[in-house]
Amino acid sequence: MARMKFICDAERCIECNGCVTACKSEHEVPWGVNRRRLVTVNDGKVGERSISVACMHCTDAPCMAVCPVDCFYKTEEGVVLHDKDLCIGCGYCFYACPFGAPQFPQAGAFGLRGKMDKCTFCAGGPEVDNSAEEIKKYGRNRLSEGKLPACAEMCSTKALLGGDGEVIASIYQQRVKRRGKGEEVWGWAMAYDRKDTKPAAKQVVKV
Amino acid sequence: MTGAWSWRKSARRGAPVLVFGVSFLCLSGCGEIDQKAKTEKIYSGKRDTEAYNNTKFAGDKSKWESAMVERSKTQNEYNRTDTKMPAAN
Repeated sequence: MARMKFICDAERCIECNGCVTACKSEHEVPWGVNRRRLVTVNDGKVGERSISVACMHCTDAPCMAVCPVDCFYKTEEGVVLHDKDLCIGCGYCFYACPFGAPQFPQAGAFGLRGKMDKCTFCAGGPEVDNSAEEIKKYGRNRLSEGKLPACAEMCSTKALLGGDGEVIASIYQQRVKRRGKGEEVWGWAMAYDRKDTKPAAKQVVKV
Repeated sequence: MTGAWSWRKSARRGAPVLVFGVSFLCLSGCGEIDQKAKTEKIYSGKRDTEAYNNTKFAGDKSKWESAMVERSKTQNEYNRTDTKMPAAN
């Protein structure tokens, strides 16, 4: 089996925050901690794109490399997880991660930092699967139930794909082949199949 | 005459060593280096159970893997809705 991976299709993401909500709801993530979030570029302009970002479960994860207490491990499917009982909340992983995935619950007037929390690919952690302890510390373990991450399954436009890397790569490849490339994938011409007219959005920009 | 004879003798003795040495050097580039990331080797925490070691999959890894692959395929809406769409350009 290939490694478990996420792909976010920026051409499809409509910034609905459904993935963020699904994750928070599924795992009862505390206030202030976002295992998944949306990043939007060119907000409000032509060519606006959004992408859903969480832990990308790197093949050679920098968080694992810098952790001073070696609390990270990787499952057979390539999911990067960590043991919260070992984590000291130092924040090294946060600085090492290029995606800003590690999150730290904060409490009190001085922002006391707790143990690191991050996307688990809905694979729980090193506790008995779907035990109360696991759900409390890491959230639900959907992989052990034969399900995919809640964010990907909840995505209404299927912009966010999650699962077996080979399968989701083939889905994405099929999409790209279908829709062609370049400007035609977005806007008026694509929506109304009128290739002779200029996209309405571009005309507005010129005014 | 004696010098040439001794040179040939020593060359004959040294030939196998030379062949062995050259082949060793050539093959040294073919070594299998561990491709696993070093960071994967260290972990000090509790051992996690595999996703298929539960009552639903009863430790059957292939069953779990095929279930995951099938589930992943459901994300392709072309398979569900796209019987009449034109073929890809």
